[in-house]
Amino acid sequence: MQISESQIINGVSSKDRKSFAKLLSICEDNPVMANKIISRLQRKEAHVVGITGSPGVGKSSIINALLSKLSRRVGVIAVDPSSPFSGGALLGDRIRMQSHATDQNVFIRSFSSRGALGGLSPSIFEVCDAFETFDMDMILIETVGVGQSDTEIANIADTVVLLLSPDGGDEIQMMKAGIMEIADIFVVNKSDNPASIGLKTKLEGIIKFGGKNIPVILVNSITGDGVDNLIKELDSRFERIRVDGTFASKRKKRVFFHAQSFLRRKIDTIMQSIESDETDIEKIEKELIKKLCS
Amino acid sequence: MIKVLIAKPGLDGHDRGAKVIARALRDAGMEVIYTGIRQTPEQIVQTAIDEDVDILGVSILSGAHMKLVPRILELLKEKGSRIPVFVGGIIPEDDAAELKRLGVIEVYGPGTSTSEIIEKIKGYFENANI
Repeated sequence: MQISESQIINGVSSKDRKSFAKLLSICEDNPVMANKIISRLQRKEAHVVGITGSPGVGKSSIINALLSKLSRRVGVIAVDPSSPFSGGALLGDRIRMQSHATDQNVFIRSFSSRGALGGLSPSIFEVCDAFETFDMDMILIETVGVGQSDTEIANIADTVVLLLSPDGGDEIQMMKAGIMEIADIFVVNKSDNPASIGLKTKLEGIIKFGGKNIPVILVNSITGDGVDNLIKELDSRFERIRVDGTFASKRKKRVFFHAQSFLRRKIDTIMQSIESDETDIEKIEKELIKKLCS
Repeated sequence: MIKVLIAKPGLDGHDRGAKVIARALRDAGMEVIYTGIRQTPEQIVQTAIDEDVDILGVSILSGAHMKLVPRILELLKEKGSRIPVFVGGIIPEDDAAELKRLGVIEVYGPGTSTSEIIEKIKGYFENANI
């Protein structure tokens, strides 16, 4: 069903969920139009929190536990991987959060990564901006189940929460570069497993060794144990980074990363339109530049 | 890109069928949201609207389809949504005819091949020109 730009702008301004849902679809399909609409809407700076970690570590469950305890307007952006073969996707993050499906203070939206690597979707910047036009206090971004080098979430989130569970390997795994470096808060999930306390201790040792001061919080996303501590930590960090300049500098960088992502997407779209049997790289380059400039 | 919600209302926990369909549609290049078992019509309809899906597939094996499906259609209408709905499960012929009369676009019984469902969905959107 087609709906006009002005209908969307009026709808989103009056907090109509259907109009907002349409705006998110435009973010996925037409970034130029999405950016234009978003620029005409009022925005509120929300705390953008990235929730990342390996598959099955409990990202969706932690979000569900947070939604149960946060009595404020929260947006959830849940990304799951797309198929490298069919391009399709099975988006199943919502299963853990369905008790909040009819909660008027919560808006959950699932996204396919649509071929993007790095743990997020190609439209993530537009989508995150769009959520800020829907009067959110907090925006939770759930990445796909990530590996060691999927660090794109650090380009968009004000705060990165890295979830670990006690079966993730030894200290060397924790000392490696990549994902372990981008965490602003570590969360050790599945605290009912006795090994989780050992993991917390090891992790604290490694953080201290690196000369940093990053909190490690034990939680159980099923019972909700420790979730209050996580919320307290998130709120005190948000207050702190707004004062010490971190927030402002992150937001400034986010604009740059948004531009980068927008342009990459543009190039990707053009590349898809170039005949795949062309083998001359120079010719492909020339055609790309020609199409970029037209 | 066709976006589908596969939803399972009511109290039966038999979701093998729903999972098979979700997986088959994924392999046919669609984006499929699966919300798990025991969903209320309210949850399903709100999810379909928030996710802005193109089509909603409802799987029921409990026998409660004549209560649950009309309620879903009613809620969609109430919210001004025109998302098409198809149903899969153990649905007697008479009930299937009645559900279609109420606005369900297709009812699939046991033994339906996944390729038939994929073709029907793709065909639906080709004709609708979306």
